[in-house]
Amino acid sequence: MTQAEIKLCSLLLQEHFGEIVEKIGVHLIRTGSQPLRVIAHDTGTSLDQVKKALCVLVQHNLVSYQVHKRGVVEYEAQCSRVLRMLRYPRYIYTTKTLYSDTGELIVEELLLNGKLTMSAVVKKVADRLTETMEDGKTMDYAEVSNTFVRLADTHFVQRCPSVPTTENSDPGPPPPAPTLVINEKDMYLVPKLSLIGKGKRRRSSDEDAAGEPKAKRPKYTTDNKEPIPDDGIYWQANLDRFHQHFRDQAIVSAVANRMDQTSSEIVRTMLRMSEITTSSSAPFTQPLSSNELEFVGKSGDSGGGMYVINLHKALASLATATLESVVQERFGSRCARIFRLVLQKKHIEQKQVEDFAMIPAKEAKDMLYKMLSENFMSLQEIPKTPDHAPSRTFYLYTVNILSAARMLLHRCYKSIANLIERRQFETKENKRLLEKSQRVEAIIASMQATGAEEAQLQEIEEMITAPERQQLETLKRNVNKLDASEIQVDETIFLLESYIECTMKRQ
Amino acid sequence: MKGSDNQEKLVYQIIEDAGNKGIWSRDIRYKSNLPLTEINKILKNLESKKLIKAVKSVAASKKKVYMLYNLQPDRSVTGGAWYSDQDFESEFVEVLNQQCFKFLQSKAETARESKQNPMIQRNSSFASSHEVWKYICELGISKVELSMEDIETILNTLIYDGKVEMTIIAAKEGTVGSVDGHMKLYRAVNPIIPPTGLVRAPCGLCPVFDDCHEGGEISPSNCIYMTEWLEF
Repeated sequence: MTQAEIKLCSLLLQEHFGEIVEKIGVHLIRTGSQPLRVIAHDTGTSLDQVKKALCVLVQHNLVSYQVHKRGVVEYEAQCSRVLRMLRYPRYIYTTKTLYSDTGELIVEELLLNGKLTMSAVVKKVADRLTETMEDGKTMDYAEVSNTFVRLADTHFVQRCPSVPTTENSDPGPPPPAPTLVINEKDMYLVPKLSLIGKGKRRRSSDEDAAGEPKAKRPKYTTDNKEPIPDDGIYWQANLDRFHQHFRDQAIVSAVANRMDQTSSEIVRTMLRMSEITTSSSAPFTQPLSSNELEFVGKSGDSGGGMYVINLHKALASLATATLESVVQERFGSRCARIFRLVLQKKHIEQKQVEDFAMIPAKEAKDMLYKMLSENFMSLQEIPKTPDHAPSRTFYLYTVNILSAARMLLHRCYKSIANLIERRQFETKENKRLLEKSQRVEAIIASMQATGAEEAQLQEIEEMITAPERQQLETLKRNVNKLDASEIQVDETIFLLESYIECTMKRQ
Repeated sequence: MKGSDNQEKLVYQIIEDAGNKGIWSRDIRYKSNLPLTEINKILKNLESKKLIKAVKSVAASKKKVYMLYNLQPDRSVTGGAWYSDQDFESEFVEVLNQQCFKFLQSKAETARESKQNPMIQRNSSFASSHEVWKYICELGISKVELSMEDIETILNTLIYDGKVEMTIIAAKEGTVGSVDGHMKLYRAVNPIIPPTGLVRAPCGLCPVFDDCHEGGEISPSNCIYMTEWLEF
């Protein structure tokens, strides 16, 4: 993991879970997989605290464990999974657009708690929705569970792997979840909770051979005393499915921009039809039917022509467009012209660059060198003589998309870390003011509850002067802006990561 | 006397052979095997007799090529339509660039507004290089005569700007504007993604990005670019 990624992970863990979890998490990311005692020893924290921290991390799927030989259990942190935490707002928003408020709250609860049983989710969401509805109406559990079932049907939520029902001392590797969904439509349960699932799958429990203490059970307790009907069947959000959805969205909007609305609709239908039948990492979708496009290739003539969307090419185009856009914003449109030229011609000499791009020689040279120094381009030497003399060698400029994408990704990580730090700094600066305003609000709320008069409320409100109010407004605006910016940079990260992943798989 | 006349004739012959591309003085020396001083004397002689002339090459501004007096220098020497007196006419190129783009854009607009079946819309938003050439010639903004190849180079720069795309279709010999049995069609397009997220944050465009870290002189907490951006 690069330095920038580790920094970003540490910031995220700290913000969401606190200091101790951050220390343990970062330590694991840095050093790979380690057993419990070594972690405690290296970080200098007490065994108890380490256990609690690991518990939190495992609950949120950020740390996985494995039994090695001699029965030692080693814990390993997944850095990429930690970085996904940046994307939570986007997941929640997507669910909102697809399944409205109910779906949004379900996914939010799942993301906040890592893993949950369905009954717990349904209960919590129903309670939350009831609060926001008018007095007298309550949210029916059935509606919530219906939405839950729909989410499960389209694979947005999935069952967590669970323990094998046979008594086995080793926790086996978790199987891929989506096949679980087939068992969905089976059981219904009282009271008013329609629950589903047959419990055939193995659960990742914390029993292991070396007898490590069972304190690392997933932290889930229930309020009601009656036995939970679906205890042991935990659900989590299926991030891969969300990623697939984002990718499809990006492709459809790219097509809409390049061509027109109807073509993009066609592409969207093609993608939707293949949603369930393709795994998230397949380079081609299942063949469907008809139209002509850049990403679409013909793959056979049966049924009047079968067409396939070339996902790899689509992602490559999107990644290239991202690179071009960055070059354009940073160096100017002439530089962007040269960049695209080199991309199209693959290898090109300096003299030819001037000719094709119609840019004066001096400027062209300057721009080429600048891009070279920022690693957007590289040089390929072709010597004419065996002694590689510079005056007798061809130097060709070329763009290696994969390495440029990696470089840009690294920059994105650092940028987000910077944005988060700035946000924390801004909040810290105005801490005193924030605390004051919180106190005032608390006072007002309590006074309203006890029925105070208008005049008294006015007096309390004036404890915050106008300039201070202004400052608060500015602070809120700034923090929102920084937040929004983080999400935007995360979109870039998503495109670049998908492209890199897809390319690495092909090799 | 006779010797130098022969030499002169030889040199003149060599220059004549070079046609309208001209020939460099060192090449003359190689071809004729005469010493440098002799060559220079002869060249001066011929120049004063107005039989040859020296033309500065656009590739290497210090080189001079010699050619017969009444010949028009070839494009590779003077740079063609884009150069006037050895200077690259970047403004001229820019103007042409914008004009071509506007023409293609307006064509795409009219095609889109006609609201017909998408395939027809797409096809009618294309313009062949011949059409663009005619339009530019009619505009009359160019003092120099421009050929279709010139226009095609301009259109290529638009492709590298990402504003235009090109397709080649097969066309019958004899249709207007076809070259060797195919035609090039151009069409204005939109970029496929809007400016990406990274560049909307100040860090994406920051020139001192590599020096920035927490606790240093340049850090996110005291970043002036961020401050400006937040006040926006």
